[in-house]
Amino acid sequence: MSIEIQNVSKTFNKFNALNNINLHIPTGELVALLGPSGCGKTTLLRIIAGLEFADKGSIFFYGEDTTARSVRDRQVGFVFQHYALFRHMTVFENVAFGLRMKPRAQRPSDKQIQSKVDDLLNLVQMQGLADRFPRQLSGGQRQRIALARALAVEPKVLLLDEPFGALDTKVRKELRRWLRHLHDTVHITSVFVTHDQEEAMEVSDRVVVMNKGQVEQVGTPDELYEHAVNPFVYQFLGNVNVFKGHLDQDSHFHTNDDNRVASASAYVRPHDLEISRIADGESIAATVLSVLSLGATVRVELLDVQDITLEAELSKELSRTLDLKKGDQVFVKPKQMRVFTASGAVVAAA
Amino acid sequence: MHTLSVQTQSTAITEPRWVRYTLISITLIFLSLFLLIPLISVFTEGLRGGINKYFAAMVEPDAIAAIQLTLITAAIAVPLNLVFGVAAAWAIAKFEFTGKSLLITLIDLPFAVSPVISGLIFVLLFGLQGVFGEWLAASDIKLIFAVPGIVLATIFVTFPFVARELIPLLQSQGNDEEEAALVLGATGWQTFWHVTLPNIKWGLLYGVILCNARAMGEFGAVSVVSGHIRGLTNTMPLHVEILYNEYNFIAAFAVASLLAILALITLALKTFVEWRVQTQVLINDPDVAS
Repeated sequence: MSIEIQNVSKTFNKFNALNNINLHIPTGELVALLGPSGCGKTTLLRIIAGLEFADKGSIFFYGEDTTARSVRDRQVGFVFQHYALFRHMTVFENVAFGLRMKPRAQRPSDKQIQSKVDDLLNLVQMQGLADRFPRQLSGGQRQRIALARALAVEPKVLLLDEPFGALDTKVRKELRRWLRHLHDTVHITSVFVTHDQEEAMEVSDRVVVMNKGQVEQVGTPDELYEHAVNPFVYQFLGNVNVFKGHLDQDSHFHTNDDNRVASASAYVRPHDLEISRIADGESIAATVLSVLSLGATVRVELLDVQDITLEAELSKELSRTLDLKKGDQVFVKPKQMRVFTASGAVVAAA
Repeated sequence: MHTLSVQTQSTAITEPRWVRYTLISITLIFLSLFLLIPLISVFTEGLRGGINKYFAAMVEPDAIAAIQLTLITAAIAVPLNLVFGVAAAWAIAKFEFTGKSLLITLIDLPFAVSPVISGLIFVLLFGLQGVFGEWLAASDIKLIFAVPGIVLATIFVTFPFVARELIPLLQSQGNDEEEAALVLGATGWQTFWHVTLPNIKWGLLYGVILCNARAMGEFGAVSVVSGHIRGLTNTMPLHVEILYNEYNFIAAFAVASLLAILALITLALKTFVEWRVQTQVLINDPDVAS
């Protein structure tokens, strides 16, 4: 079931939550809506679900216009940020709820409901906990029950709002992998909202980066990481060092003042920043501020001649060879960088 | 099952022994002077003429009529306020609209004005000289100095109880579960019946108990609209007043003791429901439960 979003806009009290969104979500994909808080990602998800209605624009499920359809008739599964399990019902009754609420003619028999719920509890690895109440479950278990409940009505689309937001790091990592695995088994078109770029990259087939009510870029995790189309996407997908400078006639980036044609900034990932003791043509002088060991890698903070703090990530081995200490004078050189003009456009030749 | 969290007392905020005992004694003395002794005296005064006179006062036709009227009034006012209260609380807790704070103030109005004024409002509206008086007289509808007036005044005075109890409860629960039910295909009515109501039932019952207690005990507003017609428009509190004014103390206290028993039952129910509400709050907020 593909989802097509056309020219969707939404305003809350003069606040532009969504600004002319166009998006295509192909059948069977797991797509992440990624962005900082307040970027409109949750609003977009709720509009897809029918919990919120767009001021302008249309939503199509598999080519069918569902814009005016109520949430009941859209056949979506929705997993809420805080799970929203029915607290007065057992796990079994929570999962069975959607089936029991069907109109009498379509309602499965008690026996069918029993076997369906058992299947789903097996799927989410929660068999044996059917008689528990939500308050007796851990956060991760509640999350899985919320998923099983959403899947019970066989939705055409699964929507998840910050599904791992309220969990601790370890459970979160486990559940991420598990969700990815679940999606590979069930193959239902899924959209999930997150503000965590690592989560988006790890779980999804495709990431939609949003900012201030607009879609900044859509692509696979690799595409986004390697070919960010603007500084916002580049910065949002990982740590970054920014060098201010200029372009010359051949669109080459320089930090010195010669041959200036247009001002530009170069964006460099910490692991692409090379540190050496010896100067060479293009390198920049810097002072070591701190050396922090992060297990497998070492993070070095530096202050360059323009008084900008830089961050470099080295392997443990390299750091041992260099033997950096606080206050050392070194030279840094980007191995790879992405240059954007002042207006945010990518400079092709870097 | 979860258990209530055990409150450990911090010595830092514990007062010296003499302060604690003084405070406890003051409270106890005050309670006995103003609550316990009057309560006991109601029963002793009622039973002063012996058990036969005590029961005779209750089965006398005017007393029975007063008891019946009180029960009828409560039987109409409480269910209506249950429906109004749930509707108002729902509207305030779940929707955003202009004039919401005005509505909240209006719900509190019956608490804010003196019951006598509440009664007077109905006389001014529906009495013979009132705004709708002529029209009502022409249509041969009698509200004031009749049962409908008493019911109206009682509904007005007891309106806030259910709504006041439910608004904070509904607000604290948010819309998540209702939204989840709708996404799963439930209709609005199914959502209310299967999701909202089970979550608020104890708070609702608490509001109903308070509403009922007030409906049966209301004096001021009812006194103004009733006209004190014996056997017809006298509720129990009014009947007590009339008997007392006629120096019929034994009968007055006997009927009063019935109201007192009612209050004691209400108190017991209220304590039980309060305890249930508290456990429900703990269930709602699992972080508080241990």
